[in-house]
Amino acid sequence: MHIGISITPFGHHPAAWRENGSPDTMDFKHLAAQVKKAEDGALDFAFFADRLGRRPIDDLSPQAVPFEPTTLVAALATVARKIGLIATAATSQHEPYNLARRFASLDTISKGRAGWNLVISPETVAREEEYIDVVSGLWDSWEDDAFVYDKASGRFFVPGKMHVLNHAGAHFKVRGPLNVNRSPQGKPLISQLLTGDTLDIAARSAELIFIGARSPDEARALVADITQRLGRHARMRSDVRILANVVPYIAGTAGEAREIRDRLDALPAAGEKPAGLEVFGSPIGTADRLQDWSETFGIDGFMILPPLVTESTHAFIDGVIPELSKRGMFRNAYMGSTLREHLGLRRPPHPASRSAGASR
Amino acid sequence: MSRANSRQMKLGAFLMAGGHHIGAWRHPDAVAEAGVDIDHFIGLAQMAEAAKLDMIFVEDAAAIRERNVNIASQAARSTGFEPLSLLAALAVNTSHIGLVATASTTYNDPYGLARTFASIDQLSGGRAGWNLVTSASELEAENFVSSGLRPHAQRYERAEEFAAAATAVWDSVDAGAYVVDGNVYVDPGKLHPVDHRGTHFTAAGLLDSPRSQQGRPVMVQAGASDAGKNLAARTADVVFTAAQTLEEGQEYYADLKARMPSFDREPDDLKILPGVSPIVGRTESEARAKYDALQELIPDEVGVALLASYLSVKDLSQYPLEGPLPEMPQTDGIQSRQQLIIDMGRRENLSIRQLARHFAGARGHWQLIGTPAQIADELEERFYAKAADGFNIMGALFPAGLEDFIILVIPELRRRGLFREEYEGRTLRENLGTRIPARGA
Ligand SMILES: Cc1cc2nc3c(=O)[nH]c(=O)nc-3n(C[C@H](O)[C@H](O)[C@H](O)COP(=O)(O)O)c2cc1C
Repeated sequence: MHIGISITPFGHHPAAWRENGSPDTMDFKHLAAQVKKAEDGALDFAFFADRLGRRPIDDLSPQAVPFEPTTLVAALATVARKIGLIATAATSQHEPYNLARRFASLDTISKGRAGWNLVISPETVAREEEYIDVVSGLWDSWEDDAFVYDKASGRFFVPGKMHVLNHAGAHFKVRGPLNVNRSPQGKPLISQLLTGDTLDIAARSAELIFIGARSPDEARALVADITQRLGRHARMRSDVRILANVVPYIAGTAGEAREIRDRLDALPAAGEKPAGLEVFGSPIGTADRLQDWSETFGIDGFMILPPLVTESTHAFIDGVIPELSKRGMFRNAYMGSTLREHLGLRRPPHPASRSAGASR
Repeated sequence: MSRANSRQMKLGAFLMAGGHHIGAWRHPDAVAEAGVDIDHFIGLAQMAEAAKLDMIFVEDAAAIRERNVNIASQAARSTGFEPLSLLAALAVNTSHIGLVATASTTYNDPYGLARTFASIDQLSGGRAGWNLVTSASELEAENFVSSGLRPHAQRYERAEEFAAAATAVWDSVDAGAYVVDGNVYVDPGKLHPVDHRGTHFTAAGLLDSPRSQQGRPVMVQAGASDAGKNLAARTADVVFTAAQTLEEGQEYYADLKARMPSFDREPDDLKILPGVSPIVGRTESEARAKYDALQELIPDEVGVALLASYLSVKDLSQYPLEGPLPEMPQTDGIQSRQQLIIDMGRRENLSIRQLARHFAGARGHWQLIGTPAQIADELEERFYAKAADGFNIMGALFPAGLEDFIILVIPELRRRGLFREEYEGRTLRENLGTRIPARGA
């Protein structure tokens, strides 16, 4: 299965900061240590949400990360050199050219480990689709072998391998080409948190889909719905990875694990609890539950939302991951080097090479 | 002998993947793939930091730089890292050096950009700087708006409002606002939500990170027009400029600093750093040989096209290469650099071809070819003659051009007491000696 982790300074429980918080907890080193821990467990990726995509911007929430996510991921990419890194960015926050550039650059800095977690406005579907098409088109500005760096002849790139987008649509007019090379993964990976009103955009464009369900029934229904919609966009189930959000409370026994949750619940908190399936158990019990869900929901794995940092993160990486590995359900070590390779997703071919292949 | 209390130069390293010389990427010592190699840039930043330079700088345009693909394909200028992600990556691999990058007020929004620089400032512990530009190229305009390049005056009007809104965002959170003691998360008395409603933007809300260790990111500008110089005099901590002659440098320096009192600022609050591309040899002939080797690498059509792009004219190839520059109309491009080129051609009586080859070395910035002592003499002269508070060092190629300056010229400047032995502090403002701004100031 595939497992990622959503990183926050204190943990996803809205009262976590009351137990373990200090201003130092918010700094880069503390976040980087969590990412390194996840990398020790050979997780597929670390994920960074961004509240600005959706929330009022004067909400200084302890559940948010106090860095702009794309710059945070750029920094992390140089200190954690194997794990995938996904940053959230809303289409309302960036011009498409700037966003395409930022993520292509992140993919280059991370040598192929970057993902864009897409946040869109469901009210403007046509604009969102056009936006994603522009970004994706800009990512195809250069063919993989465009840059030849031929010092003797003085040719830095092959002119025919640069593609000017010349997009002129209802919402955007963008000439291109992008001023970043085609990135190591071909294109940065696109992920999306599934919500009821954005299912079709996810079915059309996302390669990694997060299910933020609070009950197993809700999770099953969302997976069934999205799987069915993929067909309408000529995509196969194997073209995407679907992960369910899980909030793991881990202790010696399920009862003790519940006590952690009850203790946190008893503290005053302003924010909402994270959207994910709660699980209470020992490391073995937690592994049992994840195994069961992965076999019965039709999903490919999980995104872990540790309720309390660093306790929950360490308990998961040190306890649950080895148990899953022992069962042959999770890797022991990284096999590939890019985020797509971690997820077992194919590298998208450049359209020019695709058509050349077809005509051969 | 170091004169500890006397004024010293501020030095930046202006980085560029292909090297500042247009042909540098073809040089055997150049790293051709520098534009996609993060470790190359980390290495350069660490090298500059070991030499105690004030800052590294990366420029930007949100587009390729040459429309003609045949010309573009012969230079290393079309692609590279997006600067803010690059700065973020460098921030956590360095500890003292300032990190400055360009971002446009024409193609960004104030909240998003202020937030992104604040994030880099946090990652670096107070070492971020923003070179504010208004973006003069048509190729950029075509990636964003359908109506084409906006007129110069309109760009600067927007830039003024942008700078004010960005400052309000940085000032929305006081130092110590995050209490995080188990009971109180933030102290509401230390929050000052932005409510900016202007002609070009509305911005509302709070910065989502703690207040910068240096108060706010350092503001950098390179305005050369009247509007540009006024914005710089009012808002900038550092100004970059291109000056060929001592007199040009002095004139610009005096003009800009004279504008500051009317904005309630002391002349020393702003450091003027002209660009200089040094080609250093242990002997004069070694330096000359290095320069000649680089000049070998410029195809005529590439040099002429680069010159044309800075003159904001579509095509120079219709004029005889061996003849002088024709009369030029004023455009909405970079007017000061147009003038600099025209003056350079007239002063030295250069043909288009000679001018293009000269310009290809550092795009109109000052070039110095010589021994460490000769180069130090020239820099010292401009520093004491009030043409510069320091310099932005433009390696003709990387890493060799920067390395030569660091190994050969810096020790000479130190011997003369002109450059620091150790960093004064950990933030960029501390090292520049510019004030930590009070909120709202
Ligand atoms: C050293 C230096 C670096 C500059 N970097 C950029 C840059 O990265 N991007 C950009 O669009 N303009 C850049 N410029 C251009 C200036 O921002 C400015 O537009 C130019 O000097 C003309 O002044 P004006 O805008 O007042 O007409 C730079 C100028 C200098 C001297």
